[in-house]
Amino acid sequence: MNRFLIPGALLALALVYPLLVQSLPVYERLGALVLLGAIGASAWNIVGGYAGQVSIGHAVFFGFGAYSSVVVYTHLGWPPIAGAPLGMALSVLLAAAIGVPTLRLSGHYFSMATIAVGELVRVLSSTSEFLGGAQGLGGPAIPRTVFDLSFLSATPFYYIFLTVLLLLLGLTWTIERGRMGYYLRAIRDSERAARSLGVSVGRYKLYAYMLSGAFTSLAGSLYLCMFGFVDPESGFGILISVKMVVMAALGGAGQLFGPLVGALILVPLEELSNSLLGGQGAGLTFVVYGAIIVIIARFLPSGLLSLLDRRKVKRAD
Amino acid sequence: MLIDAKNVVKAFGAFKAVDDASVAVREGDILGLIGPNGAGKSTFFNCLTGDLPVTSGTVSFAGADVTRLPPEARAALGLARTFQVPLTFESMSVLDNAMIGALLRHPHAGDARAKAREVLQRVGLGPVIDTPARSLGTPGRKRLEIARALASEPKALLLDEAMAGLTPTEVLDAIELVKRIHGDGITIVIVEHIMEVIVSLASRVVVFHQGREIARGTPREVTGNPAVIEAYLGRRKVRHA
Repeated sequence: MNRFLIPGALLALALVYPLLVQSLPVYERLGALVLLGAIGASAWNIVGGYAGQVSIGHAVFFGFGAYSSVVVYTHLGWPPIAGAPLGMALSVLLAAAIGVPTLRLSGHYFSMATIAVGELVRVLSSTSEFLGGAQGLGGPAIPRTVFDLSFLSATPFYYIFLTVLLLLLGLTWTIERGRMGYYLRAIRDSERAARSLGVSVGRYKLYAYMLSGAFTSLAGSLYLCMFGFVDPESGFGILISVKMVVMAALGGAGQLFGPLVGALILVPLEELSNSLLGGQGAGLTFVVYGAIIVIIARFLPSGLLSLLDRRKVKRAD
Repeated sequence: MLIDAKNVVKAFGAFKAVDDASVAVREGDILGLIGPNGAGKSTFFNCLTGDLPVTSGTVSFAGADVTRLPPEARAALGLARTFQVPLTFESMSVLDNAMIGALLRHPHAGDARAKAREVLQRVGLGPVIDTPARSLGTPGRKRLEIARALASEPKALLLDEAMAGLTPTEVLDAIELVKRIHGDGITIVIVEHIMEVIVSLASRVVVFHQGREIARGTPREVTGNPAVIEAYLGRRKVRHA
């Protein structure tokens, strides 16, 4: 029962967190942002962590989600959240379209292909009038119904994001313990050996990529609901992709709670640097991410959670 | 014939690594593929498993034409293999490595785990079942390759230099293991450098030299064959008095 104690306590803490910081809107907002970051990074983790296919173009799915939500509002007058299923469906199709040719590539070549696609979509989106061009599009300025999810406080978003994150982690946990989870890890370790044992490598990579894309898109839709605005940079910018990778890698890629741990560290750090440095901080974010990437690569290739494992192993001796 | 390869050619550019090789393996056989370095036996082996597409010729397995099938589809039909340099799943435990093989016939993780445990016990990896696979040395990794392949419940097991890098005692253990696996009714194709291994295991041998088959027969027959001796040792110079 001991192994449920710590996760249980953390979940309880997560549930009451908004009550603890009730009079401090900054922290309410921060809590919601951490969860949103964790959703995106956890979605990335399915294909980037478990299957080891390091996509650096996941912003393309995030942007699909955000733009789908804002487009159904702008062009159809629907509440933005109604665009989420559309974005997810489009992202699954897009993942298939990108994945079939590029997942054949191995290692760095796949990563570079995803960057290329991401940048291509970003540039295209900034020239599309339908998507509001370089100015982007805004959601409903004044909430018409409760479905517009326009709240004064960040707390409702906090609970919505928490629910989505728990569902996503639950799904990931189920996959991890089943055949697909084993196969994805086998693919990450040695594709050739996996194939020799009957693993349909191409098919499983594609499944992971489509699932990952769908949930990344959902993160984009949720982002749009909270911020009410998206432009090419905040939807398809490469920094969005890099954040997902860095969060997951910092906590521990291919581990259930790795992305959440990464988000718990990086999101507050980013908010802090933004508030301390204001508009000039934008460039600094890149510097911080660069430094973190170097540190992870040099000292912690398996992420922070691997420190816990190392302690466990020592105790077992 | 369980495995039937006809007129297999594998060319890399203008160089034919395998040049018109035909090999048939009966069910229940242990077939040895031997030859000096660069003879093309490993290339031919990889054509059988699907790791390399053939340039021309056909490969059939259990009555089905598998020439154009990828390795995973051949594995699903019951063709398992090991790798010369073990391709261990480094991040996994020994048990999980074997589970990847077992999941082919047992989609539920629990059943696959039971199967994997059973196979690991059988190949002598029982005591290290829960250790990380990366902590195994060469003999352990070679055994794990075999266990993984067996866990996929194959009809045929193709061993690519499964004994290379082992000490003489370990080789003897490995020979015993292969004999036991054969005793369980699994057809075996073995690529090997070590003559002793071939002589004590194989019922029939095909000898490769420069991409072509130069001899076939029982191990005794081929080791006495002048063409084989020449391929391994070179032509004897005629001395003039």
